[in-house]
Amino acid sequence: MLAQALPHTDQPPWVRKVLLSHEGVLAVLLVAETVVFSFLGRNFWGAQNSGEMVRLSAEIGLLALAMTPVIVTGGIDLSVGSLMGLSAVLFGKLWRDAHLPIAVAALATLGIGALCGLLNATLITRLRIPPLIVTLGSFSLFRGLAEGITSATDNFTNFPERFLFLGQGYFFGGVPAQGPIFLAAAVAFWLLLHRTAVGRSLYAIGFSAEGARHAGIPVERRLGLVYLLSGLTASLAAIVYVSHNGQAKADAGTGYELRAITAVVLGGTSIFGGRGRILGTLLGLWAIVVLQQGLLLSDGPAELAGILVGVLLIVAIAANRLLRKGE
Amino acid sequence: MIARYKRELSVATALGLLLLVLAVAAPSFFGADNLRAIGVSNAPVLVAAIGMTLVILTRQIDISIGSQFSICGVVAGLLAKEGIPAPVVALATLALGALFGAVNGALVAGLRLPSIVVTLATLVTWRESLRWITEGETVRNLPETFLWLGMGRPAGQAFIVISSLVLLALVAWGLRMLPAGRAVYAVGSDAEAARLAGIRPRRVVFGVFVLMGVLAALAALLTAIQFRNAQTNEGAGLELKVIAAAVVGGVAISGGRGTLIGAFIGVLLLGAISPALVFLKAEPYWEKAVQGAIILIAVATDAINLRQRKDVGASLAAH
Repeated sequence: MLAQALPHTDQPPWVRKVLLSHEGVLAVLLVAETVVFSFLGRNFWGAQNSGEMVRLSAEIGLLALAMTPVIVTGGIDLSVGSLMGLSAVLFGKLWRDAHLPIAVAALATLGIGALCGLLNATLITRLRIPPLIVTLGSFSLFRGLAEGITSATDNFTNFPERFLFLGQGYFFGGVPAQGPIFLAAAVAFWLLLHRTAVGRSLYAIGFSAEGARHAGIPVERRLGLVYLLSGLTASLAAIVYVSHNGQAKADAGTGYELRAITAVVLGGTSIFGGRGRILGTLLGLWAIVVLQQGLLLSDGPAELAGILVGVLLIVAIAANRLLRKGE
Repeated sequence: MIARYKRELSVATALGLLLLVLAVAAPSFFGADNLRAIGVSNAPVLVAAIGMTLVILTRQIDISIGSQFSICGVVAGLLAKEGIPAPVVALATLALGALFGAVNGALVAGLRLPSIVVTLATLVTWRESLRWITEGETVRNLPETFLWLGMGRPAGQAFIVISSLVLLALVAWGLRMLPAGRAVYAVGSDAEAARLAGIRPRRVVFGVFVLMGVLAALAALLTAIQFRNAQTNEGAGLELKVIAAAVVGGVAISGGRGTLIGAFIGVLLLGAISPALVFLKAEPYWEKAVQGAIILIAVATDAINLRQRKDVGASLAAH
């Protein structure tokens, strides 16, 4: 379709297709950022910086990966940042006060995260309350529980070395320990969304929930799965966060939900559902992280990253809108 | 009449129950000082909730108001410190709010971009701009003429509460009686039908966003005159608080349904939680948990009622 709009070019059609796709534009942006910061930033290409960027992106990246299928179904999950706080606090409680071995405490925390996701899912699917409202309520509930349990002051520290390795250590001298976790999660969500029938059905639901139901898709079960995975991933992000920072407080993950949503939407997932890819989310995430880290290393103002991300977000959706009008 | 205001009545009942418990367990809650404190601290929330209710009624949302609020509060403080008279400061702040609202409105109504993404972007952009310019520095020592608008504390407090209630009454009346008010409901119920009926939906949406900006600025002003210092992060999280109040009060996120009275009761209910916990000798740290539980219970009750009346296929996955 675009080929008809631009008939006289010498490039093979796939070049145009890639360059004009949302992911293509983001990839170009990412390369541009990298080039600029290679000149401006000190040690931008150093191994330490690459490791630091993986660390920075792991927690929000995990949330963004799980947020992608949620938004693909036309939903949203505002509660994930708060759930990180609740998971971090409960994880600390289980380990320090209930004297559970750290691995058992971590597993139990993942279970709690899944249960909290299930609570969202139940309200959304059984009572048919809009996801925005349900997760706005649990956004407040989860953070409030975390603050109540710790009286908003208790701080869990002195975690064992072995556990801190997960967030602070390196494999083979250079690969940050949370790298493989993030990679595994990315592959898992990519497989789910792009290589399974369940993934296809999520697009159908996002496109038209009613239509999907008529086509025989168990809409409630599919949506339930998506919000359950979102809760589970939020508690995984919380465990990585605790290990990374060496402490667990009620304020863990504050504001992360909006950052994750930003990465997903910048990555080309439509907020109305039915459209979006894991690759786009990863590119959106990295575009933000490289911008933040690059400005840091070139002594630029840190706030400029936020301002540029805001502007980029609007440009991205506006461009998307105009491009699709042409189709 | 009762069926029409069922949602408002059920929230009012919840508020009544809370007040009843307080009357029995902690009558000192109804002391004049405490009631005045609750009124003054929630008046700005009410002002912002009025704007948010209109935005939600047109089926849009504005999550950038916390950042608008912060900037307007700081700008008002800086202007006041320059020795500019309070009325001029107020006008300039409201104009700035209108400008912020117009940016959101132009992007949403003009370019037809989804409001949740647009206002997410402006939330981040305005907040970081403020942080960059002020470097997080608090505006200290606001002049006496600006504090309580120079009226002194008691009169200033009365002014804040009364002006927010008058505004509520005015906008509620306008929403029911003026063509512009009916247009807000019409656009939120069905924009295409509204267009065919001669309403211009995009103008209505633009206007509502501008009004939201003005009211966010007014809320910031009503807060700024209460304190000696203007914090740069004063408005952080205001958006979700205000949306929660509107939703608890029965304003439907799908647009076209809800009243300002409901939003008002929602503000009162959520605003009473924190002082109620203090008076009931519970730890105040549970405030957000109780608020969250109230939001979920309120919308769940409403959903169950709705299903009983008729099995409405309220769009499952829509926002």
